[in-house]
Parts: sequence; C-alpha cells; structure tokens
Amino acid sequence: MKNIYLQTDLFNEFDHLQQQLASLFGGFPSSIRSDRYGSFPKLNVGTTDDAIEIVAFVPGVKSDQLDVSIDKGLLTISGEREALFSKEGGDDSRRYAQERYTGSFRRTIELPTNANPEQVTARCTNGCLTVTIAKQEASKPRAITVQ
Amino acid sequence: MNDTTNNALQRSQGHAASSRQNEQSAQPLTRTPAVDVEENSHGITLWLDMPAVPKEKLEIEVHDDNLRIQGEAVVPSPENLQLKYAEVRESRFTRTFTLAPDLDITRIDANLQDGVLRVTIPRREEARPRRIEVQTG
Repeated sequence: MKNIYLQTDLFNEFDHLQQQLASLFGGFPSSIRSDRYGSFPKLNVGTTDDAIEIVAFVPGVKSDQLDVSIDKGLLTISGEREALFSKEGGDDSRRYAQERYTGSFRRTIELPTNANPEQVTARCTNGCLTVTIAKQEASKPRAITVQ
Repeated sequence: MNDTTNNALQRSQGHAASSRQNEQSAQPLTRTPAVDVEENSHGITLWLDMPAVPKEKLEIEVHDDNLRIQGEAVVPSPENLQLKYAEVRESRFTRTFTLAPDLDITRIDANLQDGVLRVTIPRREEARPRRIEVQTG
C-alpha cells in the first residue's frame, strides 16, 4: 500500500514557485475552470493504470451533505459544511479561534479525455472522500506484440 | 475574563515555528490542523479538522500544562498510484495548546467523528463563574 502523500523536494519547490508566481503575476495560463489553489475542500489527484483517483478532504461533512456529479467530463464535488459551535450559543458562550471553513462549497475537476464517466465510485470515510473513475478500455497500457 | 482565556488557550508559537522548519527538511511533513474554539461557563471545546486520521493514529497528551494533539492521516490508495496534483502532501497533524490552571486536565474528553476531533476541557468547579450576593445594611 502506497501513501497518497507521495512527496519529493522537487515537487515542493515547484509548487512553492508556482504559488509565488501566481500571486505576483496573476498566474500561468491555467485551466479556465480552475479554482483557487487549496480552497475547501483540498484535493489530491492520482492515477493508476486503470483508474483516476481523486481524494477530497472533507472533515465534518456527512456523506448525505455531499454531492458528487459528473457532467461531460467535469467532476463536481459540492456540499455544505455546518459550523460545529453549539447551536444555542447562549449569553455565556464565547468563540475564539474560528479557522475551520463553514458554509457551502464547490470544486470542479476537469477529467482527462480517457476517463470513463460511466464507471465511477465514491466513498467517504473519516472525512475523506475518494472518487475512483475508471479509464476507457482503449487508454489502458498494453503490451504490443512485435510481429 | 476574555483576556485571561485568550492567554490560557493559545496556539503555541514555538511549535508553529518548528513545524515550518520541518516542512523544509524532515519527513514526514506536518501541518497544523484548523481549529475552532468555544468557551462557556462549563469549559472549553475545541474542534480540529483531522481528515483521514483513524482513531488508532491519534495521540492526545497533556504534559506540563500543554495539550498536544498529534495524528497521522492514512489514505488507502492503490499500489501503483502516481500522484498528479496535490494540495495536501503532509500526512501528519500536530498542534499544541497551553492550558490555563482553571481548566481540569483530569477530565478532558475527546471524540473523533467524520475527520473532526472534538476535545472538551471542563473548568474546575471552584473556577466556574458565580454570582456574589451583595449584602446591605
């Protein structure tokens, strides 16, 4: 089992540079639908030979408040995260740090053309949503016999 | 009242600095989980975002008036996964809080649900707010 948090120093340096440039000059030409880097929920995307794996970190969001949909090669993850502060509030309650994101959220991912939107599974455990999208048969790597 | 509690339960600055250093060199990388803090007359409640951290990989300890929360995220993924895009690379969470003496560290309660850790720390009985009657005559 390999961890999704695969990292190398090279990756880090590159990301850092890219973020700096993005904030200074308005960014490289990027996908027309791209979100702000790192907005809620944070995403990791990986591929295997036969699938695309998308992990969205959605702590505190119940699976019935999560909406995952695919429309013409666009995967959208949306939902609502409720504040956990005590509902009644009360005169004697005081709030200090409020760092956790609350409210509705939506993130869209452009899927590569070899994704098969008919074969998608999604599961949510420990505040971590994993969406697996199968690749089209034709795009899977295969050995070619030399005649 | 407000001021004392702000001091009482603050993010340990020393820790924040050290976790930034870790990002440069040591592995695995750690990140500081986002927190919400609320206080009422009974005590203090914290909520920390710790997605993908299973209960077994969570460690909460109180030492020298410091409350330290650590966790390691585990995302099961296929063997031959190649990461293409990542906004999260750190698999460890660490955050330390300084506790005030009016909090009862023997009755800290923690609950992990859907990747959010809730920690409740009651105030000591004698530290709870109470109204003082003014005598006349």
